[in-house]
Amino acid sequence: MRSNGRKILCMVSGALLVFALLTTFAYADKEAILVGHVHSMSGAMSMYGISCATGGEIAIEEINAAGGVLGRPLKQITRDDMLSPEVGLREAKDLVINKKVHFLTGTISSAVGQAISQYAKEAKVLFIINISQSSRTTEELGHRYVFRIDTNAVPYFGYGPALALAEKWADKKVISLGFDYEMGHNGLRMFKEKYFELVPDAKIIDALWPPLGTTDFTPYITKMLVSGADCFFLSCVYGGGELAFTKQAWSFGLYDKMHAVQPCAGDVETWSKVKKGEPYPKGALATCRYPFWAIEDPRNKKFAEEHHKRVGFWPSYGGMNQYFIIYALKDAIEKAGTVETEKIIDVLKGMELNTFVGKVRIRECDNQAMMPTWYGIMDFTPDLPFPHITEVKALVGESAYHSCAQIKELRGK
Amino acid sequence: MTIQVLAWQALSGLSVGMVLFLIAAGLSIIFGALNVLNLAHGSIYMVGAFICYSLTSTFAHLAGVFWWTLILAPIATALLGGLIEIVLLRRIYAQEMLYQYILTFGLILILGELCKLVWGVGYNTVAVPWPLTGSVSIMALPFPAYNLFLIGCGIAVFVGLWAFMRYTGLGQIIRAVTHNREMVNALGINVPRVYTGVFMLGCWLAGLAGTLMPPMSVVALGADMEVIIGCFVIVVIGGLGSLPGAFIGSVILGLLTAFGIFVAPRLAVAFGFILMIIILLVRPWGLMGKPE
Repeated sequence: MRSNGRKILCMVSGALLVFALLTTFAYADKEAILVGHVHSMSGAMSMYGISCATGGEIAIEEINAAGGVLGRPLKQITRDDMLSPEVGLREAKDLVINKKVHFLTGTISSAVGQAISQYAKEAKVLFIINISQSSRTTEELGHRYVFRIDTNAVPYFGYGPALALAEKWADKKVISLGFDYEMGHNGLRMFKEKYFELVPDAKIIDALWPPLGTTDFTPYITKMLVSGADCFFLSCVYGGGELAFTKQAWSFGLYDKMHAVQPCAGDVETWSKVKKGEPYPKGALATCRYPFWAIEDPRNKKFAEEHHKRVGFWPSYGGMNQYFIIYALKDAIEKAGTVETEKIIDVLKGMELNTFVGKVRIRECDNQAMMPTWYGIMDFTPDLPFPHITEVKALVGESAYHSCAQIKELRGK
Repeated sequence: MTIQVLAWQALSGLSVGMVLFLIAAGLSIIFGALNVLNLAHGSIYMVGAFICYSLTSTFAHLAGVFWWTLILAPIATALLGGLIEIVLLRRIYAQEMLYQYILTFGLILILGELCKLVWGVGYNTVAVPWPLTGSVSIMALPFPAYNLFLIGCGIAVFVGLWAFMRYTGLGQIIRAVTHNREMVNALGINVPRVYTGVFMLGCWLAGLAGTLMPPMSVVALGADMEVIIGCFVIVVIGGLGSLPGAFIGSVILGLLTAFGIFVAPRLAVAFGFILMIIILLVRPWGLMGKPE
């Protein structure tokens, strides 16, 4: 009798526990608005993944502290895509199907971005890109469900460097070196498109394509040195690869031998540990997506410092973008009064974001936010301990991007 | 294309090949003696690179810190290797190959995450040490002294290891284990201890490469995956388990890539793999290996 009583007690308390858990989950699910975030959280590109996740979390904590959105808290669930389209797609599907996230965000690799974008189109889920820059994703392959709140390859790798080079040296013979993947090829294509228009007799005398992730460029550099080019153009060689390239090019005297156009060098996350006297892209023309040290808005300073405090390094442009994305979603949800995808998309199209890099409009024809791009010449100044762009100019507004007419034509092909 | 340029391109190919040789040699020796294909060998190299960064940045004020690091960091990775062999690998020698793959693949993930926890996700650099900072004129073209030093290191390590295997008692035991471990056991030699020693030697080599690489490259996550594929190509070309094979394989891969870039840049990366496929078809045991 006694043992029977204990058994019943166990069963009842067990059942109660299960119910308690279930209701908590049900409550949480009903309450929180879930943002799925798929990014590169391990390996060579994990700095960007961690920066993006952190940017999103900072925004979410600010919003939740102020009472959430429509009275509901926001929550971000981050997954690792391991730079593989297959893994990224699987994680995105799991987030949508099993975790029931309302929106998808993320990715650095354009290959991963395009895989998820394709899925978003089929499943009719909103997907907002925070880094992956291949312009094809929103142009040729664009559709209603994919947005990008970041610059894309057109201003960053193409028009910015092309304008800067045409203005500064107008070199005729250019040799290019790019990581051999979607973005590397897209970057060179965009650069050629603008540069040949500005300097019609210019030529790409050779294009070198080391595999993505290469860090020993020695044989490529020796080839560049004897190529007879006036200038080299790096197409989407970034992060550790760019740092390694710069050290090797420096030791071979490449920067003294020819002009350098090194788009990614303007973004500081790679260079923040490089001190004066160490190899850096000396005198290179560079573009930059987030010169956090030069932006006056106090919101920027607060964000950069909070990011640095949390993870120990300055924010990448991706971290800033994810921060903007969360705020864009908040504004859209409040305006639409719902989290329903179709209605959110209608609001996002043409919406103007009030960011600390200025007012940025999301264009209707390609769902691309008209984010500014800065460019300048890499140097040291007494103000900052790391190399950065100087003589800074900004490319602002729609003219830096493909026009809607151009995109229509690209899609028609 | 002048002879000058050819010589220059050859040197730059060799400097790439020699760093890979150090890693591939360890991979190959371990496979030869232990019959274990250590997938995590690139991770040991990456740990070596991070240790190099830590030591050189922490003790930056000491003169010649890089040269001390060059001695200490490989010892540290050798000790790590010893730990891995004794605690983990030893348990699975009797099992089938699949268990090795799972275990060593698991190690890639564990060591990668450990590096991320300890050293973070940033990009770190190590300065080129004195007196190798300048460049040397090779047929009127400047070539960085450090790259020449790398080539020298590769050759010195090859000659040293080869002499060690050939002329010392311990080296002979290792070769004997490679040929017939039962017989060595029957002769009263402590085979498990030899295994630990060989695994530590392989990890010492990976650590050496990990220390030599940072001054000309970058210390960051992902270094493990970047080198390991090249090393597999090298050992397949040269023959798994053969030290001269690893050396010849490295020279071939380095030169093939360097001249590939010169002749057909679009296909440069493919040349190494194409050669690997040809070797697998024609001579699966590799150039210097022996058929089973």
